[in-house]
Amino acid sequence: MHPAERQTVYRWSFIWTGALVALVGAILLGVAITESAAWAETAGALGLSLVGWGGLVQAVDALALVPERAAAALPIAGPRMLIAGVLVWLGGWGLVAAGIRRRPASSEGPSPAAGAPLYPRLARYRDFYWSTLGAYGGGILLAELVLILLQTFLSSGGPSPELGGASRASSGGGLALAPTVAFAIALCSASLVAFISGFVGASRAQRLSLPEATIGVVYLGIPVPVILTLMERIPSLQLALGYRLREVTYVAGLIGRPELAYWLVFTALVLALVLGINTGFIAAGSGRVDLKLGFELFVARRHVAVFRPSLLLGTLAVLMFGIIPPLLVYFIIRGAEAAVERTRVRALGMADPLAAAAAQNHMKQHEQSPTMMMTALSVGGVGVGVMALIIVLSVMSGFEADLQQKILGTNAHAVVNKYASEMPEYAKVMEQIRKVPGVVGETPFIINQVMIASEGNVDGVVIKGIDPATVGEVTDLPQNILPGGDLAHLEHPDRILPRRGLDDDGAPPKDEELDPIIGTPAKGKAQPTLPGIIIGRELAASLRVVVGDRVNVVSPLGTELGPTGPIPKSRAYRVAGIFYSGMYEYDSKFVYILLKEAQDFFNVKGATGIELKVADIDDARRISNQVVKVLGGYPYRARDWGEMNKNLFSALRLEKLVMGIILSIIIVVAAGLIVATVIMLVLEKRKEISVLKALGVPDGGIVKIFLAEGLQIGVAGGLLGLFSGLSWCVFIEKVGIKLDPEVYYIPALPVRIEPVQTALAVVIAVLVTYLASIYPALKASSVEPVEGLKAE
Amino acid sequence: MALLSIRNVFKSYFLHGKRIDVLRGVSLDIERGSLVSMIGASGAGKSTFLHVLGTLDAPAAGEVFFDGRSVFAMNDAEIAEFRNHSIGFVFQSHYLLPEFTALENVAMPALIQRRDRGGAYTYARELLERVGLGARVDHRPGELSGGEAQRVALARALVLKPALLLADEPTGNLDPTTGEGIHQLLREVNRDLGITAVVVTHNETLARSMPRRLRLAGGQVSEA
Repeated sequence: MHPAERQTVYRWSFIWTGALVALVGAILLGVAITESAAWAETAGALGLSLVGWGGLVQAVDALALVPERAAAALPIAGPRMLIAGVLVWLGGWGLVAAGIRRRPASSEGPSPAAGAPLYPRLARYRDFYWSTLGAYGGGILLAELVLILLQTFLSSGGPSPELGGASRASSGGGLALAPTVAFAIALCSASLVAFISGFVGASRAQRLSLPEATIGVVYLGIPVPVILTLMERIPSLQLALGYRLREVTYVAGLIGRPELAYWLVFTALVLALVLGINTGFIAAGSGRVDLKLGFELFVARRHVAVFRPSLLLGTLAVLMFGIIPPLLVYFIIRGAEAAVERTRVRALGMADPLAAAAAQNHMKQHEQSPTMMMTALSVGGVGVGVMALIIVLSVMSGFEADLQQKILGTNAHAVVNKYASEMPEYAKVMEQIRKVPGVVGETPFIINQVMIASEGNVDGVVIKGIDPATVGEVTDLPQNILPGGDLAHLEHPDRILPRRGLDDDGAPPKDEELDPIIGTPAKGKAQPTLPGIIIGRELAASLRVVVGDRVNVVSPLGTELGPTGPIPKSRAYRVAGIFYSGMYEYDSKFVYILLKEAQDFFNVKGATGIELKVADIDDARRISNQVVKVLGGYPYRARDWGEMNKNLFSALRLEKLVMGIILSIIIVVAAGLIVATVIMLVLEKRKEISVLKALGVPDGGIVKIFLAEGLQIGVAGGLLGLFSGLSWCVFIEKVGIKLDPEVYYIPALPVRIEPVQTALAVVIAVLVTYLASIYPALKASSVEPVEGLKAE
Repeated sequence: MALLSIRNVFKSYFLHGKRIDVLRGVSLDIERGSLVSMIGASGAGKSTFLHVLGTLDAPAAGEVFFDGRSVFAMNDAEIAEFRNHSIGFVFQSHYLLPEFTALENVAMPALIQRRDRGGAYTYARELLERVGLGARVDHRPGELSGGEAQRVALARALVLKPALLLADEPTGNLDPTTGEGIHQLLREVNRDLGITAVVVTHNETLARSMPRRLRLAGGQVSEA
């Protein structure tokens, strides 16, 4: 076939109109589906239709359904709308198709070369590599499966019935790692798989093979995250897959929005694939694997001299002190320098005008090129991005750590209780739990909600019966008691010193006033010692009580019979201590009494449950599962702190993630600068590229040179950002930025530098700059030698 | 066997969408060790012809055999290696890399091969001395005169002792005296090192001084 006959002509008016019509059709269809409320049934098929698998899925569905409901009519309410939508949709695509035409055969006669053998490399050219498509598509799919299977296998505590089956023989079930650790391992392995398949595919085809990559990712990569996303919405999918994928959904759920996690991870895998493709092309694109870099770095360093002290120090100064102050200093220094230089040149010129001209020429040579300026700007841009990421994430981590510490200081790491019943056998259960490795403390408790009243005020609170001997093993309560009170006084309420002057022994009439109402004769015995109670600082303030004061606790549950019928149960306590945890919610809502008192008060046998402290809080989930297993499962259950405070922490993580993504936009903008800088470099160096090619540098070498130039900018920016970000964090930590205590309940801005997160910010910056320089580097390698060598 | 065999090579370029056929089925043999000049009117396609010989430009049809091997059938890495090892280029402009010193420029082909730097610099220094620039080793191209830069470029073309030297009007930008110096060097290189050289030139007297003379006209090469 003559090559010219294969060319196509596009009639864009047809294509655009067709696309609009098809869009109208899609909207009509959407309206029809909405009217008949059929989204739930069609969403799955439609989701997959977007990537081209819908037809297949529907065919399978239809085959499965035909025998069942052969006679059942479609339950769609608005058939007219549906038919119209389909027709318009098809019509739109028809128009698009009509807009694409073959070009008529050329009318020119044959050239003098007709019949001569074609230039061999063009003759051997191949449009499409099926093996590369297989490598790319199969690779991304394999990476996703590896991620899911590894995550399930590594983090499942017990033997996983289906997914871990293949490997169970060797290691006897899951490895039971902490979910986040398992996720890190699984993600790394999956990225490696994606990277390797990209590398293999690109090196086989010896080019980037973008069509193959697009088809592979769209058709084989996207369905998995689509299915995972739809699983949240479609009950049937949830039923079929939910149990098997529970480890995956758990990890994704840690940030509160699992869909976001699926797509982020998918993006990460695609990035790994892209990096693999690019590396494969660079390494093997010119016909053989060549991973050495020495020469390319030698050239790249001469092209962009990023690692010069003046540039690095200048950028660092801008990052640390803002733009204006370093600029002022710079101008002052330059101004002084220029004045001195001018005086020198004038003095020279007085003696010998030609010497002055030479000196002026010398000064001109030291002027910076615009590319140098762009390089400095790009370095600064990346630096600002990394710095902002590090500071903001560290401060958010600080808030999170502060919150976590306060929550875990007051609450247990995990709680064991029974489904819908109390736990009379708690002593035996505690004995069993003690043997579970990883559990470092345990204490029984009873929890209930009551009203608390003092002379001045009344409030609804959560009351907890505790065992003072063991409570310190689990929470920070003993340390949180403010001076003046004592946890031990719960056991020995006689030691509580009543508040002198107001509530001493000389004030019994109050007791007499109260007691007749309850109906218990207070007289006849000696004044009874009131049991102790520990309340929070905020509660104490709102009740206006201090240690030694009396409070009444009223339980709306459990009634006692009074003279006028059932009345709420009420007890009087004496404040034995006041605690301050730092969390307003806890300090205003929690009160503690003795476990024994609580058993008596609420008619509970034993305890409501047992609170645990574990060695590693990130491992709490696994250990609490282990505890349930030791206890024999139902009716026992355990919940870890993450589960109990899921909403709070997942909201925090989501906030941090979104913040990270938003701040990464700074880096992306900086990456745009890098693209512009490297493109400018490529344009500036066209001639040199041609010369290097003529001297025998292969295309891959040229790509490497310009990638190295972009990467230098990224690495320099990343390191500067890291340095300045950490310096700012240390500054905030050491010097402190005061917060309004009324609003924040925290004296100063908290900072916690998390190494992984900080390293990730730099890695992301370097990765982004690497990705950004791929395009200009490829552009550079496609410069033909003759283009730059045209005689001037 | 001839060092270079050109078989039925076609090449066109396009000016404002119009095809201009500069090579129309050129076939030619160049013997090992020969010194060949090529003349032709401006725009006749002399540079294009030279670029095709040096694999810098691909022909539309036809083949070029170097030592019996079809050069355009090689893959990118092999072509790059071929340019690096077997061919030395000298252009009308010196095309030295401005960021590197004369020494580094001369050693560049050896560095591309990832040869040991010390050895490459030693030989490059020797070559520079031979072309009379022993004192300008550490100067950048911007600090060299036109003739000096062209001599550095020649040294660069010779550093890996290529089998074939392709020179595209090497003296086009130089004054006659300096130009004659370059020509003298070319003849020495051909005689002493046995390097085959094809020199494109406008200079009729120079062309006449070469043992074999070719003329490119009307898309065909003929002996002049």
